[in-house]
Amino acid sequence: MIKVRIPTPLRPLTKNQGEVDIAAGSITDLVNTLEATYPGIKARLCDDSGELRRFVNIYVNEEDIRFLKGKDTALKTGDEVSIVPAIAGG
Amino acid sequence: MADLVIPQQILDDIIAHAKELAPYECCGLLAGTTGVVNRLYRIKNIVAMEGAHNLSAFDTAKAAHLERLSPEERAEIAFVMDMQDFSTAKKDMRTQGLDLQVVYHSHPHDPARPSVTDIKIATDYEEIWPKINLPLPAYLLVSLMSSEPDIKTYWIKSGRVTLADVLVR
Repeated sequence: MIKVRIPTPLRPLTKNQGEVDIAAGSITDLVNTLEATYPGIKARLCDDSGELRRFVNIYVNEEDIRFLKGKDTALKTGDEVSIVPAIAGG
Repeated sequence: MADLVIPQQILDDIIAHAKELAPYECCGLLAGTTGVVNRLYRIKNIVAMEGAHNLSAFDTAKAAHLERLSPEERAEIAFVMDMQDFSTAKKDMRTQGLDLQVVYHSHPHDPARPSVTDIKIATDYEEIWPKINLPLPAYLLVSLMSSEPDIKTYWIKSGRVTLADVLVR
C-alpha cells in the first residue's frame, strides 16, 4: 500500500481524512484509484489532458514527480505520496 | 541575535519585483543558511489561471469572492505560487546547500501585514513544510500603498502572528 497525504483543501473530498492508503503501481494509477473512491479529486489535480496542474505538486518520498517520471512515476509498497497545494495568500 | 539577516540588496530586489508587477501581487522565496538570507527566487503568481483559486487553500468565502472577479482583478488581491517554479527553486536550494528562510509577497493596495487569508493558509501549511523537508519559513510582506514601500516580516505559527526580528545589512 501507498500512504497518500491529503492537504486541507482536498479533505472535504476524502471524508476529511488527512491520509489514505491506496494500492497503486504508478502516479496515474494512484490518481485514478483515488478518483474511483473519492470522485472529483482527479479534476483538482490534473488538467483535461491528465497533466499535473501548475498549482499543485505531488511528491513521492519528498521528490517532486516533475523531476522523476511525472505521472508515469512508479510506486512501490511503503512509498509516501504527498499532495501539496500551492502556497498562496491574499 | 536577530531571527533573520537579510541584505539590503535583496530587500531592494523584492521592492523592484513588487513594483514591476503592480497593481498585481508578486510572490517569491528567500533562501540562505541558519537565518542568513543570500538568495531570492521569483515565483510566478498564477492566481489568474483558470481554477488556481479553487485548489489553493483559500477558504470558501475568499474563493467565491475571487470567482466573481476577472483574472486581472484576482491578481490584485491574491497570489497563488506556480508550483513548478517552486519545485525548481527547491531543487536549486538543495543543490546549493541552502534552506528556505522566507516566503514573500506584495500587497499593492494594503498594509504590510498578513491578511486573514494569509494567516489561514500559512497555518494550514505548517504541517506540510516538514513533509517536504523544508523548515518553517518567515513571511515577508511588502506594501506599496504609500509612496514609500513598507516591508515587514512575520512568524505565523498556529494562527498566531508575531513580528520577526530582522537585521538588514
